[in-house]
Amino acid sequence: MERMEIKLTVNGRKHTLYVSPDRTLLEVLREELNLIGTKKGCDDSNCGVCTVLMDGLAVKSCTILIPQANGHSITTIEGLEREDSLHPLQQSFIDHFAVQCGFCTPGMILTAKAILDENPMATEEDIREGLHGNICRCIGYKKVVESIEAVRDGEYKESCGEV
Amino acid sequence: MEGLIGKGEIRIDAYDKVTGKGLYASDYGNQFPNLAHMKALRSPYAHALIKKLDISKANALDGVMYIMTGHEPGLDWDQFPKASIIAKDETLWAGQIVALVCAETLEIAEKAVELIEVDFEKLPAVLDYYAAIDPNAASVIDPEYETRPLGFSDRPGDRASNRVSPNVVGSFKMHAGDVPAAVEEAEIIVEGEFWTGKKTASPLECANAICRYDSDGGITMWSNGAGVHGVIKQGICRILKIKESMVRIIQPYMGGSFGSRLNPYVEVITALMCLRTKKTVSFQFNREEVFTGAPSNWPCITKVKLGAKKDGTIIVNDYYLAEEIGACVNNTFFSGRLSSSGAVPVYRFPNLRMDTCAVATNTVPAAEYRGLGCPEGEFGIECLVNQLADELGMSPVEIRMKNIIDKGERDAFGELITSIGLKKCLQSVADAVQVEEMPEQDMGVWKKGRGCAVGGKQNTPLGRSEAEVWYNSDGSIQLFISCDENGMGATTALAQIAAHEFQVPISEVKVTKGDTAITPYDNYSASSRTTYNTGNAVILACEEAISKLKIEVARVYGLHPSKVEIKGRKAILVGSYVQEVDIPSLFAPTSMFTQGNWGLQKGTPVIGHGLFCPAPIHQWDENGLSDRVWNWFQYSAAAVEVAVNEETGQVKVLKIASSADTGNPINPKLVEGQIEGGVHMAIGFSINEEHVFDANGKIANANFSDYRLPTILDMPTNDNVHAFINPDPLPDGPYGAKGMAESITIPVGPAIAHAIYKAVGVRVTGYPMTAERILALINEKKAKEAAK
Repeated sequence: MERMEIKLTVNGRKHTLYVSPDRTLLEVLREELNLIGTKKGCDDSNCGVCTVLMDGLAVKSCTILIPQANGHSITTIEGLEREDSLHPLQQSFIDHFAVQCGFCTPGMILTAKAILDENPMATEEDIREGLHGNICRCIGYKKVVESIEAVRDGEYKESCGEV
Repeated sequence: MEGLIGKGEIRIDAYDKVTGKGLYASDYGNQFPNLAHMKALRSPYAHALIKKLDISKANALDGVMYIMTGHEPGLDWDQFPKASIIAKDETLWAGQIVALVCAETLEIAEKAVELIEVDFEKLPAVLDYYAAIDPNAASVIDPEYETRPLGFSDRPGDRASNRVSPNVVGSFKMHAGDVPAAVEEAEIIVEGEFWTGKKTASPLECANAICRYDSDGGITMWSNGAGVHGVIKQGICRILKIKESMVRIIQPYMGGSFGSRLNPYVEVITALMCLRTKKTVSFQFNREEVFTGAPSNWPCITKVKLGAKKDGTIIVNDYYLAEEIGACVNNTFFSGRLSSSGAVPVYRFPNLRMDTCAVATNTVPAAEYRGLGCPEGEFGIECLVNQLADELGMSPVEIRMKNIIDKGERDAFGELITSIGLKKCLQSVADAVQVEEMPEQDMGVWKKGRGCAVGGKQNTPLGRSEAEVWYNSDGSIQLFISCDENGMGATTALAQIAAHEFQVPISEVKVTKGDTAITPYDNYSASSRTTYNTGNAVILACEEAISKLKIEVARVYGLHPSKVEIKGRKAILVGSYVQEVDIPSLFAPTSMFTQGNWGLQKGTPVIGHGLFCPAPIHQWDENGLSDRVWNWFQYSAAAVEVAVNEETGQVKVLKIASSADTGNPINPKLVEGQIEGGVHMAIGFSINEEHVFDANGKIANANFSDYRLPTILDMPTNDNVHAFINPDPLPDGPYGAKGMAESITIPVGPAIAHAIYKAVGVRVTGYPMTAERILALINEKKAKEAAK
């Protein structure tokens, strides 16, 4: 397919890419921009390991064709870590043992960020509702919810704001 | 410094994983600009003849490098992992590879697959145990069935013609005590037939491998397969007949396995393609292929008869089990022995007869799945123990307390049980869910019930584990191991063990893992063995390094080594003119002109090597009995409260408590994660997950839309998920630890089944307990009541 020009802001940085319009946002992030923290699990937006934020909303990048992302701002897991510290959610996931194989973790953290950005006082019920598109096979979900609640409750220094 | 054993140390891989920096095998593609891609043409039919296979158009496509078929010369397909055998003239399951393309890009490879012309002639297929066990069933793999001996006492077979199903491909029998006499003696008998569904472990990272063709004709592979030495390298060298020096296997982070990646069905065929094309090649399964082209679990059918005294003492178990193993040609692995092993170490069965077999079907070849058949094999026993309690008017807790084996007793095989914390496990979960009390019915059409069950799983005394530890000249420590890190946290626990031995914080230990060119031999992480096997090897390696260090330090100060204690960077000396020494200061600087470089030298670590192998089994006698069939036993108990919708049959788990007997846990936080994750996995396969077949015998739900893994909404809320650790130390385990990850899933299904009975009065005889099935049972019960 003939390539087209795509403008993306990814983790605060502007990119102009020439790619075939039948490629997904996931493929472009991984293959063109080498942002391999975004994973591929199922190809039909059911597992959530490819979750990224598009203009702050959690989306499954495996089912977004690249023209749909044209002109939008994308945050991937690589965009969360600050120069000298982790994002509160990243630190909280570590401290609460919410990680096992880790394949779902980037998507989980980005969905969690979207949940708390939308509603900083999200209840357990809200968190469950928000996370139900992200599958974990290893840890169950209890420790994931605990990690998010700890950030919500201000147990980590920085607020969970936009990066 | 206080010891590190039993401490919730932070995972050493957590930073890599929360930042997305950790590389998985599927992330390596970007590193090879000229990577070639493999794509499989797979059979759409469960059983078919290949009448015509024409690859000429595909071969003519620009960019196609190689097309492999079942007629590839110079191969013995029988040696290959079963799920990777390319069909020659006949396909044995829907999903079997018919042709395998390698091309310059994935797009070209996909296009080439479309251009392959193939005509199939559909043959009769057997898709489940019941079809396969019929004496006149179509043969899946063995046309010579007429010659098979009739070996089973309780198997459907035409005795007149001595004709047994051609699909029975392995068997195991044992008999302890006198079962027929005990059945006569029993005051109450409960019996039933139980089934379980076929499932796929579904780790989130799809199966994949990248194989680099090295300039010297060797290969280097990155894959998410398990067992870099024992499974992958050994498999490739043996099957493809390559020198061991020419094969290097690297295991980066793995996106889960749950046993399913213990089978090198991607690796061997990818290595073969790499050698044929002399190019760096990538084989990435998509999600559908993980269902149709990668091994499933093996479902089990059991027929169980329990006999007891009126006081609840169980005196006999007459037990039949069949493993349904898919299209496993030349089966040598399956006999029913693995799955039935769980029937032995839990209860004190003075009379136990096991008659087990394996049957082949036209479905994807089966392989390991967390629990090795024990969740399937113990389901019926647990259901019947609950039924026995109900019929005797006892509580499900009380009857188990009466019959669970105590430490120091021998099980029905004759094995000594050296560690069992199961009664404490059961009590803790029963208390947490108040399983002996009826819940209040306050949810309308949703009826609540509570249930519990227990489970046990053997550890197979497998293989060999080695570890190497370096005490560097600056006092930092490196650990080299080759166990798998599926995600369970083994590398953290092993680093913790090394740090404990050297009395340093875990941050002082750097782990290098899973690279056959660098790290020492380990078979694989299977049978929950890593903490035990590799853990013991790590202790041995540390002890050797510490012992060498003591000798070196003692030489400097004119002491016997026993007068030296190593505490991280410090040596504590007894009876010397100094009490404490900074060990790195004893390492002499080395320059180009230094001579006589004996002793401790800068830049040269003091190295310890550890090797651990469990004692081998003792071959069983003619009754299948032996005092050492397995190694040790892990145990777990679960209690649940469920709500069942009387109108739709839907089942929701409202509360779950699970407890593990882990021996002394090295890291209780990691164990807690395994417990919570284990129950979540078991809720999924108990209620929802199973393969559904279409008219051609193809899996109709080979995707995550239709094969529903449990989401967070299928789990109880956080306050209603309880994880308990009730250790009984294992005398031969490292610091008393044993493995635990498999046992967790065993009791969840039968606990749910009993809770359903308590809620709506129907006895479930298999899982997954889907809404459809529960509703059918409810309707059947209503119809029976109406008929009265």
